[in-house]
Amino acid sequence: MAFYDRMMSIDRRIIFLSIGLAVALPVIWPLGIPVQVSEESRSFYREIEKLKEGDVILLSIDYEGDVMAEVDPMSVAVMKHAFSKNLKVVALTTYAGGTGIAERILNEAARNYGKTYGEDYAFLGYNPDWSGTILRLGESFRATYPTDQHGRVTGEIPLMKRVETYRDISLIVSISGSGLSEYWAIWAGGRYGVKVISGNTAIQAILIYPYYQAHQILGFLGGLKGAAEYEVLIKQPALATKGMDAQSAAHGLMVVFIIVGNVGFFLARRAHRRARAQGENA
Amino acid sequence: MSGGIGIWVAAILTLAIFSFLYKDNPFFKFAEHLLVGVSAGYYLVQYFFSAAYKKLVVPVFVNHDYVLVVGGILGIMMFTRLNRKTEWISRYPVAFYVAAWAGYVIPSYVQVRILQQAESTIFNPAAVSLKEAVSLFVLLIGVVTTLIYFYFSAEHKGALKGISKVGITFLMIGFGATFGYNVMGRISLLIGRFQFLFADWLKLIR
Repeated sequence: MAFYDRMMSIDRRIIFLSIGLAVALPVIWPLGIPVQVSEESRSFYREIEKLKEGDVILLSIDYEGDVMAEVDPMSVAVMKHAFSKNLKVVALTTYAGGTGIAERILNEAARNYGKTYGEDYAFLGYNPDWSGTILRLGESFRATYPTDQHGRVTGEIPLMKRVETYRDISLIVSISGSGLSEYWAIWAGGRYGVKVISGNTAIQAILIYPYYQAHQILGFLGGLKGAAEYEVLIKQPALATKGMDAQSAAHGLMVVFIIVGNVGFFLARRAHRRARAQGENA
Repeated sequence: MSGGIGIWVAAILTLAIFSFLYKDNPFFKFAEHLLVGVSAGYYLVQYFFSAAYKKLVVPVFVNHDYVLVVGGILGIMMFTRLNRKTEWISRYPVAFYVAAWAGYVIPSYVQVRILQQAESTIFNPAAVSLKEAVSLFVLLIGVVTTLIYFYFSAEHKGALKGISKVGITFLMIGFGATFGYNVMGRISLLIGRFQFLFADWLKLIR
């Protein structure tokens, strides 16, 4: 096999092993590559930073275990930011598998910041049919969620007594593992005029740019990089920041593989053309 | 190595799934089937209690909100799909759902995804900075040329061909960015697993 053919047919297991090492080594021995903050993440941070003590944010934790690595650091950082500013948090999920994740994040943040359930935050739990949920919250929180996650009557929770509709919400923070942030922007933002910011998986982030450019989503975090930028902004580096070295190493290696494959392709094409030309001349 | 039994189970299942990268094997198959089974059970219980029980049984039988019975009947009608002789009945709830969904979606989509998006491409160069003006101009060129690329009522030749080539260039840049974000997403998931294995399970890092 010619050298250029080998360049194009590297055993996939060698690629997997190389990527694995490129990720594992920086996770164990961090390189400390600085994180540059993008304007999208800065806008996300600013929207929360603008809020005053006692303002209520709606945090929608719309993801399950499959994308936790990417978006979980965002939810954790939002809770730290919100509680450090003494904001009130009404949380919910439109994913059946999101309840356990949301409870863990809320309880941990409440414990660290000494916040009380019902007074400083509430978790409404899971509601089926995300479209109906987003629209109906604009009419009544209590009708959409008659009880919270623990079966308490929503209207009897002190924090929820002051939250009737989106009018009582200063900002919606949608942390999503799918395209759900778009629907928060379309229905809650477009129809009810409430401000929306979002945290999304990297795959979804590209779809959020048009909404951000049109000011329908006022700021967003794209993937683990966005989460790391936000951790830097709130001055609490955590898992996402630690993961960025591995991300950079893996991306660098991917670029090398793409270059090797392309160089091999062009060398092979040139060799085949030469061989054909020689065959025609002979 | 440390952690409770949950961490050990999660770590072993993670390694079982990773083993597929070498080749298909019984450990991977076991982990895969376990995931499907556990997920099916979890979601069945979640959906039953959060939808059927909390949204229908409690409101109707405890709060006497009988108007919800109509929705309940429509829901039950969906199960007629399971029998070929009665499956025609399920078309009624489907029709109701499609009509309601269209009513929900069409006005909001037109407003947010078309009108407001089109509006954001219109700008006054005198009211923005030079950097923003350049950015908005590129955006405008991108939107117009991409739309022209998808204009199929005339043959793409002459000026139309040139403009649509610019449009496809914008599309390719978009696809490239999507691929880049895809790579970032997949690598992030791998980082998450390694952080779990090295921190929570092996305690190699904090």
